[in-house]
Amino acid sequence: MNYVFDIMGPLLEGTAVTIQVFLITLVLAVPFGLCLALLRISRFKVLSGLVNGYIWLMRGTPLMLQMLFIYFALPFVPVIGIRLPDFPSAIVAFVLNYAAYFAEIFRAGIQSIDRGQYEGARVLGMTYPQTMRRIVLPQVIKRILPPMSNETITLVKDTSLIYVLAMNDLLRAARGIVQRDFTTTPFVVAAAFYLIMTLVLTLGFQRLEKKYAVYDE
Amino acid sequence: MKKTTSVLIAALVAGVLLSACGKKEEAPAPAAAPAPAAMKGIVVGLDDNFPPMGFKDEKNELVGFDIDLAKEAGKRLGAEVTFKPIDWSAKEAELSGKRVDVLWNGLTITEERKANILFTTPYLENRQIIIVLEKSPLKAKADLAGKVVGVQDGSSAVEAVTKDEATAKSIKELKKFGDNVTALMDLSAGRLDALVVDEVVGRYYAAKKAGEYRVLEENFGTEDYGVGTRKDDTELMGKIQKAMDDMKADGTAATISTKWFGKDIIKK
Repeated sequence: MNYVFDIMGPLLEGTAVTIQVFLITLVLAVPFGLCLALLRISRFKVLSGLVNGYIWLMRGTPLMLQMLFIYFALPFVPVIGIRLPDFPSAIVAFVLNYAAYFAEIFRAGIQSIDRGQYEGARVLGMTYPQTMRRIVLPQVIKRILPPMSNETITLVKDTSLIYVLAMNDLLRAARGIVQRDFTTTPFVVAAAFYLIMTLVLTLGFQRLEKKYAVYDE
Repeated sequence: MKKTTSVLIAALVAGVLLSACGKKEEAPAPAAAPAPAAMKGIVVGLDDNFPPMGFKDEKNELVGFDIDLAKEAGKRLGAEVTFKPIDWSAKEAELSGKRVDVLWNGLTITEERKANILFTTPYLENRQIIIVLEKSPLKAKADLAGKVVGVQDGSSAVEAVTKDEATAKSIKELKKFGDNVTALMDLSAGRLDALVVDEVVGRYYAAKKAGEYRVLEENFGTEDYGVGTRKDDTELMGKIQKAMDDMKADGTAATISTKWFGKDIIKK
């Protein structure tokens, strides 16, 4: 038991990195994903097609590959080549990737709203943005909560991929201790940390779902 | 926010320009500066999960044989040494991408690596030893025939085993692991029959679990550890080589070796 306390320091530091990547990604990818979703369902065929291609690219290649590309290959790309440090590289990759998944969740939510509601809103004299904000999106939020909780929980665990950039997230910190002390206890402690994080998310989403259940009537 | 960014960029650009000018002024008069000129910082890339060469201790601080050596060299060169953990299998990309200046972490000098990396003269001699379970019947290299042998991916053990063609052909499978610890765990779990690993590293782990592992008499040959820089970075290489030679000559390297390995195993 004493040993568990001894290794707590590095594991907590790792958890801090994990939570940082998680929160920043979430805060940036959700609005970006919403924009993508709106463009995807827009009447402009070119925009919709471009977003479609983007989503295909982001969902069609591994997140780890995207991260390695941004970190190692991007500096050598002509014209747009920039050299990002490790943390921004990871964030850019995560946001670009997760926004694509979020966009599809949002699109499914938006398109699940009956056409009649748009027509009703128009009869009441609402503009398209008004209809979106007041009528459609509140119902969308309720419907997309379950898939969003799925995706956010996946994001917590996907943060462990940043080890390829040698960033010390929770899992890499645990692996480091395993390598030093040659015991598997750190893995068990790390698992407990992940479970606590996902438990918080699960409970949070359950509360949100209850709150939005008012639209059931 | 935008303003701060542009100020920062301006400062950066100015800094780069100034330092570039500074260099030009210094260059024509090298003889006039006998005192060790202050260098810009050196970024040392290392696998920070590689005991006893470089790893994090109980206080979460980076320690190890190569860490001590690099710090001492930095002190002698008047350069600030920063350690940047890297994923070992991406070390060439880190170096050529200029994210690190030096690879100093039990880096084996191999012909293949020489194509892309400039090395110092060897500072440590290392053998590729074969580790098996204490109760394993394996006794010699020949016994590896038809067995599953493990190595760390991207390590020089891969090359050492493949070079030994007769043995490489006889073994059933060469399994490549992300790190040596997972390989040792696989050994204990019985999915692996033997592990080929750097002696300094293998002995560190074997000592952690006394009585569980055995090191075979035969090995996959001797090799040398060197410090690596970019192929065109001859200036930095010259300085590191000089610091290394000095440390070997005045016994500092031997002291550091004794601290970590209990004896002086520095290659003169």
